[in-house]
Amino acid sequence: MASCTYTVPDKAASGDNFYGAVICNQAYVDYFWNTYGFSGNKAYWDDGWGWDDCCNTSKPLARAFNGCYALTYSASDYLNDSYSAPILNWGRRYVRENIDDLRSFCGDGTAIARSKSGGLVEVYLGFFYSKDVPGRAETLIHESRHQGGKPHDANFPSGSVFGSGKSGADSSWDYEGAWMYGALYLWWYYAVGARTTSALRERARQRGNLVIDNAFATHPGFSI
Amino acid sequence: MLSSKSSDTPFLGSPDTLEVRQAEHPFSFRNSKDEKLNALIVEAVNRMGGVGDDAEENYRRALSSLTKRGPSVLDVVAAEYEDLPEDSYLDRWSLVQLIVELRYPEAVKPLNRIIAARIPGEKIKRSHDMSTVAEEVMIRTTAVEGLVRLSADGVPDAREMLLKHAAHRTFSIRRACVQGLMQTGTNDDKRKLRRLLKERKEEGLLKIKQVDVRSVPQPIGGRFVVPPQVKSEAPPPDLRATKE
Repeated sequence: MASCTYTVPDKAASGDNFYGAVICNQAYVDYFWNTYGFSGNKAYWDDGWGWDDCCNTSKPLARAFNGCYALTYSASDYLNDSYSAPILNWGRRYVRENIDDLRSFCGDGTAIARSKSGGLVEVYLGFFYSKDVPGRAETLIHESRHQGGKPHDANFPSGSVFGSGKSGADSSWDYEGAWMYGALYLWWYYAVGARTTSALRERARQRGNLVIDNAFATHPGFSI
Repeated sequence: MLSSKSSDTPFLGSPDTLEVRQAEHPFSFRNSKDEKLNALIVEAVNRMGGVGDDAEENYRRALSSLTKRGPSVLDVVAAEYEDLPEDSYLDRWSLVQLIVELRYPEAVKPLNRIIAARIPGEKIKRSHDMSTVAEEVMIRTTAVEGLVRLSADGVPDAREMLLKHAAHRTFSIRRACVQGLMQTGTNDDKRKLRRLLKERKEEGLLKIKQVDVRSVPQPIGGRFVVPPQVKSEAPPPDLRATKE
């Protein structure tokens, strides 16, 4: 068992203030809890993580729910989660079908999240406190892709902000790995994201471009 | 079909525990005694993170109130940016985004200062998905977007800065400047840019195109298909109207 403390940053630009006001409804809490891998994992969301205070966006569980809200409702036609629709629509379905257990941990400060065997995804402090709300949805999609059978298969390219030559990149866009899924989700969020602001969409664009520029061994040759 | 998941049985062993501390407001406004202006800045940053069908409208309204105060707003926002701790990446980004949105020609100087500032070394060395350098780069590419918008508005200094930073040491910043200048620069700017890229043997940057998301390869979605009887529908996106 580890114990950790965290000082919460301003909740405005991340989206937590406003998403937080929306998710504080039992219908959403029930839906997110039962749909995205929280169910059966109460112990991992207790003891300061927010299980008994799930509307408090200073705490991790509400911040995770905010990410789940963005994941679920950012397509204007969110009820269509067909795989023939854009990833903005089916991202929520992909997460639902690939993450069986979502658990929170302090982490050692070297990762946002990790995908473990058997549908288990661990999320760490950075997921809640360094990622904005759409960025958390991106992370859930990224980790779901690992659960879907695609590990990273290449080293980061020369000059990459993630570390030249380090492992953890995807070889190409066509590999259809976790970086591609995350970047594409952000791209669609930027292009047609609903119920959000142009500022958060611009943030998604900047993050998406950063991934495209730095997380593929071979640059895809396009940008957002 | 019955779920194979366990119920939320209390743990025998203890998982991690967390103590959360609420920080004070991130902005100090040490250099601004104009409380109304300060409140408008806070409101605009707050509205950036809005959600709901009226989120954009509320954000635009906040920006509009701020714009009425004129370019002197820039000095306050830029001072706040400088005052924030280095690791307040999202808060710093929000102020840069605000400068971008205000679209004052006078913003070229602060935007240039932000882009030109040295990027501190990576603080998280053993990670593949966390990077303080990445956060710094996103702040700067957002500042580049500000220059691109000003260049589109016909501000010559903005074009000049885009050309200058097309030789930035960070790839994403170079790429953003090249694309921005090719889209908004004059023929003369583009000629100078091509010459610069040729000298630096970076003409490949011209081949990276900004495209519509619909034109790039899309993935084939799921590995599994959930039987319809197991899928529960999400509640409507805004239950506030019906909340008791």
